[in-house]
Amino acid sequence: MRADQQLKASLKEIDDLKAALDEHAIVAITDPQGKITYVNDKFCAISKYSRDELLGQDHRIINSGFHPKEFIRDLWTTIAHGKVWKGEIKNRAKDGSFYWVDTTIVPFLNEDGKPRQYVAIRADITARKLAEEERARLAAIVKFSDDAIISKNLDGIITSWNPGAEKLFGYTGREAVGKSMLMFIPPERTHEETDILARIARGESVEHFETVRIRKDGRRIDISVTISPIKDNHGKIIGASKIARDISERKRAEAEIRQLNTKLEERVASRTAELEAANKELEAFSYSVSHDLRAPLRAVNGFAGIVLEDFGGQLPEAGRHYLERIRSRGQRMGELIDDLLAFSRLGRQSVIRQRTNTARIVQEALDELKPQREGRQIELRIEELPLCRADPGLLKQVWVNLLSNAIKYTRDRNPAMVEVGCAHKNGEAVFFVRDNGAGFDMQYADKLFGVFQRLHRAEEFEGTGVGLAIVQRIIHQHGGRVWAEGHVNQGAAFYFTIEERGKP
Amino acid sequence: MNDTYEVEILLVEDNQDDLDMTLRALHKANLANRIQVANDGAEALDFIFCQGTHAGRRMENRPRLILLDIKLPKIDGMEVLKRIKNDPRTKTIPVVMLTSSREQRDVLESYNLGVNSYIVKPVEFDSFMAAVRELGMYWLLLNQPPKPG
Repeated sequence: MRADQQLKASLKEIDDLKAALDEHAIVAITDPQGKITYVNDKFCAISKYSRDELLGQDHRIINSGFHPKEFIRDLWTTIAHGKVWKGEIKNRAKDGSFYWVDTTIVPFLNEDGKPRQYVAIRADITARKLAEEERARLAAIVKFSDDAIISKNLDGIITSWNPGAEKLFGYTGREAVGKSMLMFIPPERTHEETDILARIARGESVEHFETVRIRKDGRRIDISVTISPIKDNHGKIIGASKIARDISERKRAEAEIRQLNTKLEERVASRTAELEAANKELEAFSYSVSHDLRAPLRAVNGFAGIVLEDFGGQLPEAGRHYLERIRSRGQRMGELIDDLLAFSRLGRQSVIRQRTNTARIVQEALDELKPQREGRQIELRIEELPLCRADPGLLKQVWVNLLSNAIKYTRDRNPAMVEVGCAHKNGEAVFFVRDNGAGFDMQYADKLFGVFQRLHRAEEFEGTGVGLAIVQRIIHQHGGRVWAEGHVNQGAAFYFTIEERGKP
Repeated sequence: MNDTYEVEILLVEDNQDDLDMTLRALHKANLANRIQVANDGAEALDFIFCQGTHAGRRMENRPRLILLDIKLPKIDGMEVLKRIKNDPRTKTIPVVMLTSSREQRDVLESYNLGVNSYIVKPVEFDSFMAAVRELGMYWLLLNQPPKPG
């Protein structure tokens, strides 16, 4: 009876101990083959399996696959030999999530010393493991960062020093930790550290502060620093973390760019001066052409005229004819000089662009060409024309020249047709003048716009060959393009683009 | 130079060719009765302001028209024009620039200085003759100048 009572008491003791154990630990029991024979509630809770799902299953059901084969083999060898195994294990729950447990496995032996069952008692250490992993990850980042990552306390004493800092400043961790930050700061900048520490103490951060520090070898380096306060668990500021980056290379590149810019500006200025000088010279040249080339020409013409007037009657027919030719060629030279001067003036003239009524400009051009149209039957077709942005005077010159050409080269046509319009291609306004006149051979199209380039002999169609060169120069000055299409005896079309400015 | 001789046109021209042709055109238009020629700007100013070789001349006998080239030896046409137009005694004399230059700045400067006409000598013979004839006609026969003084 007493033995019975003793047994009862001892069983109660065991039950209480078990209850206490269940309260604290994750407990499972397996048979020698590893089949689960018992799990407590905590085991079910952490593994997210129900008891029914676990009992009778191989214990490997919660293996995570994280641990190497040797680790598992060591565990089994230990407990199969009847020894207690202790270690940290990462397991997998039913939903695939992982958890860490600090594990003690105790083999219960039968009489012949063979394990009869294994009792595993575990504690959940997932939170600690995650924190450790996080810490390891951060440590790796700090270790392998190219930037210098330093921490210091509120007195400016260095408390940690990463390899990036070692590389940047040249001091090893052992040399730097415990020393003051002041050892890197140039004497004239010591106030910076005071300022920074004051701001940190107020809880402020300093971001991308660019400054200069001194390396162990005495070399000065440009760095960019970001400094933030470090707080303890209670939110009290206990120091500062500092991330510093070498920007010497960037600074050097910036300086180089600045220098290149300065050089470029100087070069532009000197080129501009050269250009201005060349322009001045050209101006003086054309001024002198204007004055001095005309005078002898006037004399040649004049005296040929006087001879004709005063002595024409006494001259044979051939003599009068040659004098007439002298006058006519002299006159032509006068026209060439005038056109050449007009062309060279264009280069010096500034283009003042404004909203321009194209239709009105075309009408003015046609009015100007009235003498040329006198006695001609010309069918003029003028489409609606958009406004454009141009220098009105120069644009008028373009239309005068193009229309004058169209009128001139349709001289032998009856009816002569001249068409003016604007087409839109690729969002661009393309103005055109088209005629049914003499046209030209497309293989010479590129010669049309050259100065003094003519595709017709003066006897066929008069002209100096400057008109289209002027057109091209003006259109280029406006940032536009000009081109021509034509066929011999089937008319020509001249196109140019110019910035459009809405409907009239 | 005869002091009582009243000059109608002062022609300031250094180029003998242009001078001959201008004179011929004025002759043909019957406008060449009393022409004084000056071959440079200094001579022109001497005549206009009755100084130097023209010191004996009287200011009241003003020419009725001055034809002035721009490019002139010694003192250029612009300077001569400026002196004429800046002097109350001479500023009402019509001055016509008769020049080779069709440079816009010459035209503008001339008008700024108060020129009465600006004519580019045509290279073409007939046009040259016509231009001289017409400007002479206008300024001597049609234009009504204010009474001097």
